Amino acid sequence: MKPEELRYAKTHEWVHIPQEDGNRLATVGISAFAVEALTDLVFLELPEVGKQVQQGDTLGEVESVKAVSDFYSPVAGEVVEVNSELPDDLERLGEDPYGRGWIAKIRLSDESALDTLMDHAAYGALCAEEEI
Amino acid sequence: MPYLYNTPEDQRAMLEAIGCASIDALFDTIPEELRLNRPLDLPPAMGELELTRHITELAAQNLSSESADCFLGAGSYDHFIPAVVDYVASRGEFYTSYTPYQAEVSQGNLQAMFEYQSMICELTGMDVSNQSLYDGGTAAVEAVLMSMDVTRRHGEVIVAQSVHPEYRQILDTYLTSLPTKVVSVGCPKGTIDREEFAEALGEDTACVLLQQPNFFGCLEEVRELAEQTHAAGALLVVVVDPISLGLLERPGEYGADIVVAEGQSLGTPMQYGGPYLGIMACREAFVRRLPGRIAGQTVDRRGKRCWVLTLQTREQHIRRDKATSNICTNQGLFALRASVYLAAMGPEGLRDVAGLCLQKAAYARESFANLERFEPAFDAPVFKEFVLRDRQNRVDQLLTDAESAGILAGVPLGRWYPELSDCLLVAVTEKRTRSQIDRLVDFVAEDSKDKAPLHA
Amino acid sequence: MRNKQATRLLLELSEPGRRGAVLPECDVPCQHLENLVPDRFLATSVPNLPEVTEPEVVRHYANLSTLNMSVDTHFYPLGSCTMKYNPKRNERLAAFPGIVDVHPYQSDRSLQGLLRLFYELQQILAEISGLGAVSLQPAAGAHGEMAALMVAAAYFRDQGESRNKVLTPDSAHGTNPASAKMCGFESVTVKSTPQGFVDMDDLRSKLDETVAVFMITNPNTLGLFEHNVAAIAEEVHARGGLIYLDGANMNAILGITRPGDFGADMMHFNPHKTFSGPHGGGGPGAGPIAVTEKLGDYLPVPIVVKKNSPDGPFFQLEFDRPRSIGRVRSFFGNCGVLVRAYCYLLTHGGAGLRRVAENAVLNANYLLSRVKHFLPVPQGESCMHEFVASAAELKQDRGIAAMDLAKRLLDYGVHAPTVYFPLTVKEAIMIEPTETESRETLDHFAEILFRIIDEPVDLLHEAPHTTGVSRPDEVAAARKPILKWVANNPPT
Repeated sequence: MKPEELRYAKTHEWVHIPQEDGNRLATVGISAFAVEALTDLVFLELPEVGKQVQQGDTLGEVESVKAVSDFYSPVAGEVVEVNSELPDDLERLGEDPYGRGWIAKIRLSDESALDTLMDHAAYGALCAEEEI
Repeated sequence: MPYLYNTPEDQRAMLEAIGCASIDALFDTIPEELRLNRPLDLPPAMGELELTRHITELAAQNLSSESADCFLGAGSYDHFIPAVVDYVASRGEFYTSYTPYQAEVSQGNLQAMFEYQSMICELTGMDVSNQSLYDGGTAAVEAVLMSMDVTRRHGEVIVAQSVHPEYRQILDTYLTSLPTKVVSVGCPKGTIDREEFAEALGEDTACVLLQQPNFFGCLEEVRELAEQTHAAGALLVVVVDPISLGLLERPGEYGADIVVAEGQSLGTPMQYGGPYLGIMACREAFVRRLPGRIAGQTVDRRGKRCWVLTLQTREQHIRRDKATSNICTNQGLFALRASVYLAAMGPEGLRDVAGLCLQKAAYARESFANLERFEPAFDAPVFKEFVLRDRQNRVDQLLTDAESAGILAGVPLGRWYPELSDCLLVAVTEKRTRSQIDRLVDFVAEDSKDKAPLHA
Repeated sequence: MRNKQATRLLLELSEPGRRGAVLPECDVPCQHLENLVPDRFLATSVPNLPEVTEPEVVRHYANLSTLNMSVDTHFYPLGSCTMKYNPKRNERLAAFPGIVDVHPYQSDRSLQGLLRLFYELQQILAEISGLGAVSLQPAAGAHGEMAALMVAAAYFRDQGESRNKVLTPDSAHGTNPASAKMCGFESVTVKSTPQGFVDMDDLRSKLDETVAVFMITNPNTLGLFEHNVAAIAEEVHARGGLIYLDGANMNAILGITRPGDFGADMMHFNPHKTFSGPHGGGGPGAGPIAVTEKLGDYLPVPIVVKKNSPDGPFFQLEFDRPRSIGRVRSFFGNCGVLVRAYCYLLTHGGAGLRRVAENAVLNANYLLSRVKHFLPVPQGESCMHEFVASAAELKQDRGIAAMDLAKRLLDYGVHAPTVYFPLTVKEAIMIEPTETESRETLDHFAEILFRIIDEPVDLLHEAPHTTGVSRPDEVAAARKPILKWVANNPPT
């Protein structure tokens, strides 16, 4: 997936929402900026399949050697699939955060909150600000 | 002052460098009204000679396993400690260092801890061990809390009454502020009542806590209990006597999920109850829920094998209120002692120690059974401890009399088990000789004469 | 010469048939194992422990020990840990027969000397803290924190109050929020001001009738005395809350000021820090707690009491305390550590303890006065027993991190200070020299640090250079944990 086509939460998660209507399945992950800031990830805890989440709920946890960060769901819905190979191959997060580094697929239940997400340009501006 | 370098000249020069008028002025940031404007009211200072005399006098007022024959157990045992254990633990490089925050200058401690973890895993049949918790009792409680975290069940935990009563008290204390209920399963015949146990297991049972050999010295039917526990989706937490594992089946083999132990038996003196060693080991799947420090193997930048503290994100200094436990300082020195003890004993030595305990305890138990006054309270097989029922129901007087004769004869059980107020718990380690056992039994036989029983 | 044997594992040295200890022959009639223990309980194999001789054990551990830095061998300014000299007399005295070999279930009558010692220690700690009731039971500082918070919870339950929050400053030790959580409290963080003190406005905004306890470290983890502490206590008390003092930094204020006098209701001591107990490569500690009289009934059981009889005083364990929270560990406490603390306290007496604090603070300020000229100490014109420097500028300007300085110090033969704590200071370097170091040692340390800062960046990034191993790969260790020995894993 191209970063330009994704939408972003303030807490540095990305989400891809397919254009077709109907039963919409969003793919979520952590942005390249966040992966870099977290440095040398050693552990990732995936959400359980079947979990119902609201936007902003904790989805899982990533750990570096000396820090732990929660990551949050950028959308509301039900977790229907997780990238179960990811915890054993964390390099994917750094190498391909928007592709093979995806974390979970969430069936959207409420799309009203999607408007609060940023586009690529706005997210880029946020990152630039945080870097200072 | 014995441990200070600074002479008045040093102090003057240092104050001048600081730009401070006096030592008192260093404390200017402490508001005047909060200061203690008098000397602390403490006993006068003593030099080393006076202090030695003073402690000698205090020590002389205590009976000890050196001045009396000790048959006390119940979680603290008078086992033999080889001199190498004291030698290693008294090396300043071990006992005056701290938690290995800088791995490069702590490889000695880290490797020793890695070896400790390895040996504890061998001993228990578990996959992973931490570097120690405070003692057997707090380790048991941490294991219960960990089970709740692993199973995500917070409704209840099942605890056998044959688990050390103080461990159960600690659990009660820790759970006071939490919603979890402790379901106690009785042990009228010295081991877990199987019917009551089966009824207690429920779908919100996080774990079963039992002890093998149990507090009464008896062996529980652990294999069957493990199967029942797992069938209910709960974890099995077992408290073991590490010495017993020289002979008895390893908990990993009969299905324990978390094993804890009081490690005092492994080379730590009794010293009135602490510091001891909380052993804790578990299955690999639970490692990220394990409390306490863990050493791990890795390589350094030159590719050399070495050791570091690892999986630290579980701990309080990183995860703070979400940590697996609040433990920081552990019992590293006693984990070291346990390692040296196990290395000095080796597999055969540990087997021999366990065998001697078993044989001598059996001999003592049978000798008592020959006296009309006593009967074994329970029939289940025992390891190194057993419960005797005093048909004269004069346990306290007996223990007082024995103490006067230089025998620490046993632990009275009435304080924890009112129904066993006519019972005492006797422990026999490899240190007790046949003549000491005979003396105990003879003393009791003599003490029993011409005394009317208080109950038939 | 480094002995290569040292880095082999015991299990790699193992040779079948070797053994260290030989046990005596069984002197009672020996029975068949199966007659005593049914087969189903017996192991089918012996545990795979190392098979080594006694000399091997000694050489192995003696060599391993040389890979450690320690207080006996090196300057060890590990902030917050108070790595002071560990007096040898205390080691000897704590190992006396009658102390080291007494069983925890002996009768009180058979232990009058030891119980007297603990009774006197309770009194001494009450005097030092200014808090009237003491429990010696907790096994370590964090354990003491937890026990005290349980005391607070029990107290509020008795008052019919349901307070569910514990406040901790953002500069607090991680144990504070972790202990609060274990006692069922919600932990709420209070901000610090840029000067490093509790932010009174933030505290007030979080202080209400749901707050049970405010935990404060004083002097705080920046080595500063919270000069507002009396006002803080007044506000917390006015809302019905209690003040807990994390006693980790008592070394700075012994005999100068007392927690009970500046408003604390509860505190723990760290005898392995303040009263010179050796740290043992990670422990043991002990964590006695002192509380105000009104909270005394809630302390863990047992405590030692003194009864007067016609034959003189009798010391006994008191269990019958209906309001007590119960037990927090088995047996009496970490007695070996407590005996050492008692010996230390009797060695010093009241005036001597004050001199300990004075010299700890003098040494820290002297070192601060030398260091601050070349390494910024954001909150430090002066300090108590320790101070926190920052490598943030160094990192930004030259890419030298606190950890690089720490690692390079090892090459010069001193242990590194605590780094990256407290969390409120970027690239924190927390330095606590303690009172048992000489001015020359402090000068030497300052000179090394000064020299290191000007060294080439690459040299620092790869430091240490003189130790047996350098910069272990912690990422690999955490990603694929190897936590015990496995066969065919030879040293490289």
